[in-house]
Amino acid sequence: MNQDVPSMHSAYTKAKMAALYKVACRWSSGTCVFRRPALYSPRNLYSSDSSTPIEGQGETESQQPVAEKPKSGFAVAYELHSDLRQQQQQQDSGPSPSRVSSTTTRDETSFASLLRHSPLVQMGPAKDKIVLGKIFHVVGDDLYIDFGAKFHCVCKRPSTDGDKYQRGTRVRLRLEDLELTSRFLGATTDTTLLEAEAHLLGLAGEAKPKA
Amino acid sequence: MAAGMLTKAICGLRCPRFAAAALSCSSQSYSTAALPKAVLTPSDNTADQNKLLNVPLSHPDFFRVSELFSLKDLFDARVHLGHKKGCRHRLMEPYLFGSRLDTDVIDLEQTVPHLQQALNFTAHVAFRGGIILFVSRYRQFGHLVERTARECGEYAHTRYWQGGLLTNATIQYGPGVRLPDLIIFLSTLNNVFQTHVAIRDAAKMNIPTVGVVDTNCNPSLITYPVPANDDTPAAMELYCRLFKVTINRAKDKRKQLELLKGLGPSTTSS
Repeated sequence: MNQDVPSMHSAYTKAKMAALYKVACRWSSGTCVFRRPALYSPRNLYSSDSSTPIEGQGETESQQPVAEKPKSGFAVAYELHSDLRQQQQQQDSGPSPSRVSSTTTRDETSFASLLRHSPLVQMGPAKDKIVLGKIFHVVGDDLYIDFGAKFHCVCKRPSTDGDKYQRGTRVRLRLEDLELTSRFLGATTDTTLLEAEAHLLGLAGEAKPKA
Repeated sequence: MAAGMLTKAICGLRCPRFAAAALSCSSQSYSTAALPKAVLTPSDNTADQNKLLNVPLSHPDFFRVSELFSLKDLFDARVHLGHKKGCRHRLMEPYLFGSRLDTDVIDLEQTVPHLQQALNFTAHVAFRGGIILFVSRYRQFGHLVERTARECGEYAHTRYWQGGLLTNATIQYGPGVRLPDLIIFLSTLNNVFQTHVAIRDAAKMNIPTVGVVDTNCNPSLITYPVPANDDTPAAMELYCRLFKVTINRAKDKRKQLELLKGLGPSTTSS
């Protein structure tokens, strides 16, 4: 076991450890909480081989290069180990849509990342959520309001301040459903109304009384 | 075959008949951009024409359509939003990222290459002087689609589709009708949520199709399906803009290359 340790760590130079520490700091400022224990003590990734389990508190950097040989590819090895660790944690905690693969969770502009941070997903279930919408079409007393989802909603013009609701007006809505669908008897797929459902609460620009 | 069809086009049969038929179907009259009527050039120019036609084939993305949009643009236009789980078509499952709170989410990492391929193909067809027909029976965006077609000098059909429009064209519209070389579906469903008849008819007539398929659509017979949202105005405007820009870019490139090589109708053959 002891013989394995120097050969494992022989790959790392001080510069590489510094780079690792920079990468680790960037990651710790990200979203995944479960990685923090790994960041503080990188050597614990190879926990079965670690003979000197020192908790990384800034001393890991200086103590590591004592038994290390210069070699390239450390970053790849670290990534590989963190992937394995993440897969292990995935199996423990069960699948979740945000952790598709390690590379996409790292890349801030990946689709998974964009989706996870989008307001529609952060909102959760649509029932009884207050959102802001904008009227984009008016037909008599029907107001077609778009609030940022796939479909628009259609609301009746309210009796109070009725003439203020014109095309382009911003309004407040309480959502019921993002898409009105239902499976009827004898049908193979749902029938959809291509509309969302919401209650109109009022205009968005109303001044709130200051406390 | 393409060269043969092309010479037919150059003969001035840029299908006024078909155009008239399509326009009469839609009961609206607007003129498309008139192509310069080329004189039937002698055969020694055909080799140069063929060389010109093969120029874009040397590069995988000759018209640089991948620069026209990014994943973030698609995301901001709400292209990834799908219908509810109960409306899902079984064959769209490979294109889905997943389902959240009963709503399907389309995988934009797959949509991006599909859309790039579709735009690239459209550009090549437009470069070679093909007729492009925009089809969409989605009433909310009918006017948008017709306006897009007019702005890029192509055709649109957003009204009731007569059964024999493609398959019975020679009888309904007379002999020698030129059918479209590409049909772009901005929504593959008709008003009763069935697959548009034109998809099957285009497959029967060997006409390639590009189609925006939502999670409740069947992507089977479409040559270049693009798994994307087709219900939101923001997304539809994005597609219309992308197709319009691609077609105009391809046509401008054609004119530019023709002028460079001296193959324009007004210049003598080299």
